[in-house]
Amino acid sequence: MKGAVMPASGVVRWTAGVIGLVVLGALALRSLGLEYMLAQAAFVFTYAIAGLGVVLVVGQCGQIPLGQGALLGLGAYAETLLALRGVPAPVSLPLAIALGATGGWLASLPARRLGGLYFAMSTLAFALIVEEALVRWESLTGGAAGLAVPALALGSWSADTAAAQAALSLVALALAGFACRRWVASRLGRAWRAVREDEDAAAASGIDIGRAKMLAFVLGGGLAGLGGALYAHWIGFVSPEQFGLTLSFELLMLVFIGGARRLAGALWGALVVIAIPQAISLASEVLPPDLAAAVGLETLLFGAVVVAVVVLRPQGLAGRGSRSSG
Amino acid sequence: MTFIRRFLGVVALAVSCTAAAEAPGVSRDEIVVGSIQDLSGPIALLGVPVRDGMLMRFEDANAAGGVHGRKLRLVVEDSGYDPKKAVLAARKLIQRDHVFAFLANLGTPVVMATMPIVVGAGRPHLFPFSPHESTYAPRHPLKFQMFAPYQDYMDAATRFMVQTRRYRQVCMLYQDDDYGLEVIKGVERALAALNQPLAAKTSYKRGATDLSSQIARLRGTGCDFVVLATVVRETVAAVAEARKIGWSVDMLVTASGYSAQTHELGGKTVEGLYGVSVLPHPYAEGASRPLADWIERYRKRFGAAPNVWSVMGYGAADLFVKAAERAGPELSVERFVAAMESLHTPRDFFGSPEYRFGPDNHLGNRHGRIAQIREGRWVILTDYLK
Repeated sequence: MKGAVMPASGVVRWTAGVIGLVVLGALALRSLGLEYMLAQAAFVFTYAIAGLGVVLVVGQCGQIPLGQGALLGLGAYAETLLALRGVPAPVSLPLAIALGATGGWLASLPARRLGGLYFAMSTLAFALIVEEALVRWESLTGGAAGLAVPALALGSWSADTAAAQAALSLVALALAGFACRRWVASRLGRAWRAVREDEDAAAASGIDIGRAKMLAFVLGGGLAGLGGALYAHWIGFVSPEQFGLTLSFELLMLVFIGGARRLAGALWGALVVIAIPQAISLASEVLPPDLAAAVGLETLLFGAVVVAVVVLRPQGLAGRGSRSSG
Repeated sequence: MTFIRRFLGVVALAVSCTAAAEAPGVSRDEIVVGSIQDLSGPIALLGVPVRDGMLMRFEDANAAGGVHGRKLRLVVEDSGYDPKKAVLAARKLIQRDHVFAFLANLGTPVVMATMPIVVGAGRPHLFPFSPHESTYAPRHPLKFQMFAPYQDYMDAATRFMVQTRRYRQVCMLYQDDDYGLEVIKGVERALAALNQPLAAKTSYKRGATDLSSQIARLRGTGCDFVVLATVVRETVAAVAEARKIGWSVDMLVTASGYSAQTHELGGKTVEGLYGVSVLPHPYAEGASRPLADWIERYRKRFGAAPNVWSVMGYGAADLFVKAAERAGPELSVERFVAAMESLHTPRDFFGSPEYRFGPDNHLGNRHGRIAQIREGRWVILTDYLK
């Protein structure tokens, strides 16, 4: 499975994947309409941005973040509050990213003393603290009642159509993906993978484990902040409950389905998490009305798809057998 | 380039066709209505009966020949209480199913995320299940609400209870979200009118099962009346906890706790609990003839007994049918809105309130009634409190 075989099979796989996506996209476009497809694409790209952050932490650095949803929340709230005060997007988006990164740094602090599941639990606690703070700090966040978010504006132009949202999300995803490729291929990326494989061996090789984990969380947090900021605009309403543990687990599921060890896994995972429930909802229309109306049918089918993916492709959709790399 | 030009041409043609078509969702023999429900998420227990209630009203209308000869079709999307799914569902209903209007969307995050898309597409946004004021105020030509706001009916209910039973120390236990906040506003408004302070208020997080510390605190404050902004399970937990520690204080729960499940789950411990009803629960026992028939038909159709949420769904769909009939055979959004703005419905066999809409009033009802659990069922004690 090594050497010359990989590139050839890789090309075939990529071509098949792209053709498959194009065919699926064309079919979906035909039956669903452009606006709906683009709205869906905007969410897929936005989730993929946050997913990239999880890939860095889980797939590269080997840590389990149970509070990534809270970092998304920090980005979403930062962006919302700034946008409501008239701060232009070119300023507010970097600030949202910075707040997400700061949140990631805070969440990573216990990593200096804790490891494995204990550290994972501390990230869970961090998420709960953030959610609680969003509820309690009513004067700023509007508390549990939530806040309406204006459309993302660049000068006099605002992204209020699905096409603009999808395009902006795609640009942001491309930039994020490019940055991630560089990080993963750098000395830092090698340090992450060393930490992932064996912390003691990595330490013995002179790698500062605490710093490597911290940077994974900071960069992952920044990506979550960016994803959250875009998400807030696309949804148009933020409330603390949206950024609870369900979202954190959804993001984890996203990267495990897509392939935690590969950057492309974030996009594949986002596609499954966003598009499959929609596809199931469409497919259930052809079922007999009584069966289609059965409560929980869509959740059940989605669960079956996830189990099938995990069983058939344990390394995720973007994974390559048991081999892993950046 | 040729391909791109052709592609753009097709897209432009499709867009212009859509724009030219009158009243989306209305054809010669059909009206399509959309609804975003929670059928698999945290409030699926409410979403399923609401959907079934709406389906039943539409099926009744269709059996009677439809609305001006057009059959009604309800397209329901499941959001699972997730605003992201809801946004996609709204776009799908608008673009693919070409729904004429949105009916009774369920859940605040869902409603808040989708409402701008719905009204932005020129579709009426009717009777959503959300306490948010923005569902009817400030007045928007396409937004209508029929469910009484917590603030208004809890104001009237608290005033009535305090005035008639002379409570001195009114306290509150509330859920820590927009629902709880709306109820607090209503209770505080009532107490301000009576020149009484709110003696104490304490909150819990949604899903909490242990309310012992909150109840102990309220008891320590010396409350003689506790308003509960709780949902079913927390209502039962709060009352059970109070009774367990030997505290027989009077308690009043909002319409969110006015449910048959409250006495089914709570049994004897919730006897004597007061509640506010904005629509009565359909009890089979002692039902009038039309109500008994309705219950039987619902049971046969959906294989389950109806509850107050089924009645709400049926009521929402009923208002839609009445407004669509009033709008006449040439159904358009403008005609429908005009019909809604002159709609006044009398009470029906469920015991629902009168709904009265106007050009400046898109909120059909503001009132609720006091009820009490007696011998294992809710008994209505008063008329709708103004």
